[in-house]
Amino acid sequence: MITKKKVMKKIVKSVWVFNWFNSCGFTEIVPVVGSRWDMERFGLVAVNSPRKADALFIAGYQTPKSMKRAQQIYEQMPSPKFVFALGCCTMTGGMYWDSYNTVKRIDDYLPVFMYIPGCPPRPEAIFDAVHKVVVHVDELPDE
Amino acid sequence: MMSEKSRQNKKQSIEEKLIEDLNSILDATVNYQTERRLWVNIEPDLIVETCTKAYELGFEHLSTISVTDWLDKGKLEVTYHLWSYTHNHLLTIKTKIDRKKPKISSLNSIWGGNAETCERECHELFGVDFKGNPNLTPLFLEDWEGPPPFLKDFDWREYVKKEMYDQKNPREKVYFEVRK
Repeated sequence: MITKKKVMKKIVKSVWVFNWFNSCGFTEIVPVVGSRWDMERFGLVAVNSPRKADALFIAGYQTPKSMKRAQQIYEQMPSPKFVFALGCCTMTGGMYWDSYNTVKRIDDYLPVFMYIPGCPPRPEAIFDAVHKVVVHVDELPDE
Repeated sequence: MMSEKSRQNKKQSIEEKLIEDLNSILDATVNYQTERRLWVNIEPDLIVETCTKAYELGFEHLSTISVTDWLDKGKLEVTYHLWSYTHNHLLTIKTKIDRKKPKISSLNSIWGGNAETCERECHELFGVDFKGNPNLTPLFLEDWEGPPPFLKDFDWREYVKKEMYDQKNPREKVYFEVRK
């Protein structure tokens, strides 16, 4: 019988990530891809199309205009899919809390699976978050 | 070999000649601001005419269009920065328009899409109506319903508190305690 756990187990062996990064979010998270922290040793791969992705990483402050594009990306991803919000600006607007053009609650726009706080989050925090997904799948009931 | 002093003198005389030419052609007073920067104040009706003349004189590159809000004077100051590759000078054309009915002619007859994009930005941020620009759609502020945000009488902190935050939400309560 195909259970949710079986399906998820296959996916979390290798989480393919599509990045939606604005502004400093991009430059701060790029070291995760590089050789020092190297996300590929955990099976995390940055892909070039949302149709191949399992997870959507959102970083940097978001505007209503960029959020529309993020929603389009999210719609194109195959299920099951996860959204990770990286950093304070993404989650709450951060230091731009009183700006007229930043998104204040990202959960109004997308179902966020995990919030990773930090400005920016450390690469270790991102790996920890993805590890939590793996643990979550392990703990799913096999039925 | 030309000495440093004579070189400077030559440079100065070229600059003086350029200012004279501009004075006679643009029919306005050009001020020497700093090195290689010239300012000119004109009436808003003359903007297309002046820019056409400046273009023909070699000021071919429209760097940017910016707007300043003079709240106490009731004016919006539209500033055009033109760069010349032949003279290596920056000509800044300034004109003041009424703040309540901000209207000015578009420059897309001279600079096409370049002017169009700059004008779109000024339109969405300051509400300046550029007559003759066929595409004044929002550039960054999609779905924006508030007033033009860069005007000085728009208090965006108050606007954000009213429109985007909920005082009953325990996470967002803290934003209402921030003083001005």
